[in-house]
Amino acid sequence: MNHFKKKFPQILITSIVFVCALCWVYPILLIVFNSFKSYKDMMTDFLRLPNIISFKSYIETWKLFDLPHMLLNTLFYTIIVTLGVVIFAPMAAYKLARTNSKLSKFIGVILILPAMVPFQSYMITMTRFMANIGLSGTRLGYCISMIGMGMTFAVFMINGFVKTVPLELEESAYIDGASKFQTYWKIVFPLLVPIITTVTVLQVLNTWNDVTVNLLMMGANQETMNISNALMSRFSSQASDWVHALPGIVMATIPNIIFFATMQKYIVEGVTAGAVKG
Amino acid sequence: MKEQSTQAFKKHSKQLKTMHGTSDLLAFTLPALILVSIVMVIPFCMNLYYGFTEWNGVSSNAKFVGFNNYKKILFHDPTFWRDMWFSIKFGLFYVVIVNILSMAAALALYRQNKITTLGRAFLFVPFVISMVAISLIWKFILTSGFQNIYEKTGWALFGLSWLGDPKVAFYAVVLISVWQNIGFYMVIYIAGLINIPTDILEAAKIDGAGAWTTFWKIKLPLLMQSVTICLFCSISFALKLFDIILVLTKGGPANATCSVAYNIYREAFMNYHYGLATAKSIIFFLLCIIITIVQMRITKKREVQL
Repeated sequence: MNHFKKKFPQILITSIVFVCALCWVYPILLIVFNSFKSYKDMMTDFLRLPNIISFKSYIETWKLFDLPHMLLNTLFYTIIVTLGVVIFAPMAAYKLARTNSKLSKFIGVILILPAMVPFQSYMITMTRFMANIGLSGTRLGYCISMIGMGMTFAVFMINGFVKTVPLELEESAYIDGASKFQTYWKIVFPLLVPIITTVTVLQVLNTWNDVTVNLLMMGANQETMNISNALMSRFSSQASDWVHALPGIVMATIPNIIFFATMQKYIVEGVTAGAVKG
Repeated sequence: MKEQSTQAFKKHSKQLKTMHGTSDLLAFTLPALILVSIVMVIPFCMNLYYGFTEWNGVSSNAKFVGFNNYKKILFHDPTFWRDMWFSIKFGLFYVVIVNILSMAAALALYRQNKITTLGRAFLFVPFVISMVAISLIWKFILTSGFQNIYEKTGWALFGLSWLGDPKVAFYAVVLISVWQNIGFYMVIYIAGLINIPTDILEAAKIDGAGAWTTFWKIKLPLLMQSVTICLFCSISFALKLFDIILVLTKGGPANATCSVAYNIYREAFMNYHYGLATAKSIIFFLLCIIITIVQMRITKKREVQL
């Protein structure tokens, strides 16, 4: 009993905060509930649970707004961009950490310093430059810009990690006759897996949720836009078609929730590591 | 025998020297260098030039005008300063509220058990959802949802025109930003709290320090490193505030929620004053760097080393 008395304030505080946390996700639940309602119910009975679960508006939205196409686009971009970053960033970060010359310092500055520059301060000239070299509005152009922007942060994170990896392993592999690339790929890369996981998780989230770059590169092109851009161009205008917007939001968000539920540990670790090092 | 091994050692170190030569450095970094140059370095350098021109976006039409753009922004552009003021005001509200709330949440939830794990996950969920979905969710709730609650309860809070009244819309933007990001800062504070050695806390308890004293005298000073990080992240979020404005308010009503970043976007892609907009983005960049450096200087001093 005495023990309980001592613990009681802590339990009370935790439960209060827990209830608050529940309220925190309540807006999302409200959207899910309302997405099943008809327009009339939505407007008159906002807080009530839906009377019947009907997937009618889901199916309509799925077909009407070509959601499968948008989701596939986004999935494609996420895979390509993440692969691009994960292939090229560790290579560069590894060599930068292992080489100590004026040139490597200069390259380091070019690769890492841009991470400090806010996107809005070069977005105009970036879109113009992309248009000049004929990449504006293409999938390739979008992927290149996303990879380039993800690169600086990834190189920075991995560079810090490489310095903690001991030299002996790669040296002995190299002396035993492995080529430089083999040494990197067979010996160094596996050792970098923890930090690469972090980078991957953050990059996936960033790319999947991106709207600004997609809007600037693709405009309102139905063929190549991603899911966020599609949601925005259809539903953010003044007179909103909520009957289709809400199922659209839910379907666009389900992948995020699944990703969060399965990768929670890595996401939280990655976000913390990213913030602490950045 | 000894000679042999020194010889072998010399051979090895010679081999190792060639392991990280200049050509290898270039070979390994070239893809990253090309990508970063195309996307960031070259555009940023172009910015410096186009800030001095009158430009409609077609590169052959840029006319050199010297410092005219900067003069115009500094002395004849009230919209830029109005939006600058919005960003600063938003920053003050956002930084204070989000840091206090997330630190409170971290203090309540940092001990590991099933309830706190679930509570943390709930607070973190909005952070992984895209800004567009977040903005649309809140647009629905603030317009038709609140209207509906108001009709039923008559509470004035829900009767406000949350996105239509310039004064209230500001708080709507603050509210949504805090709602989305609190989990992020909470996670950083939790990481900081876990790193506080338990023997210090126990010693304080034995000496008779209450929860309040423990927080102010022990936990907060030892958390200053996390505070530095969170301040840095929240200030830079506030300065760069863009997506949520783009989807939720489009700068309205009556330009009351136009951030600096959105001002730059509008100047370039809606008014087609590319030259002026690039000059603005240079000013924006300098401002971000200065604020960041000042903030780091101030909070770094307060960090406590054990």
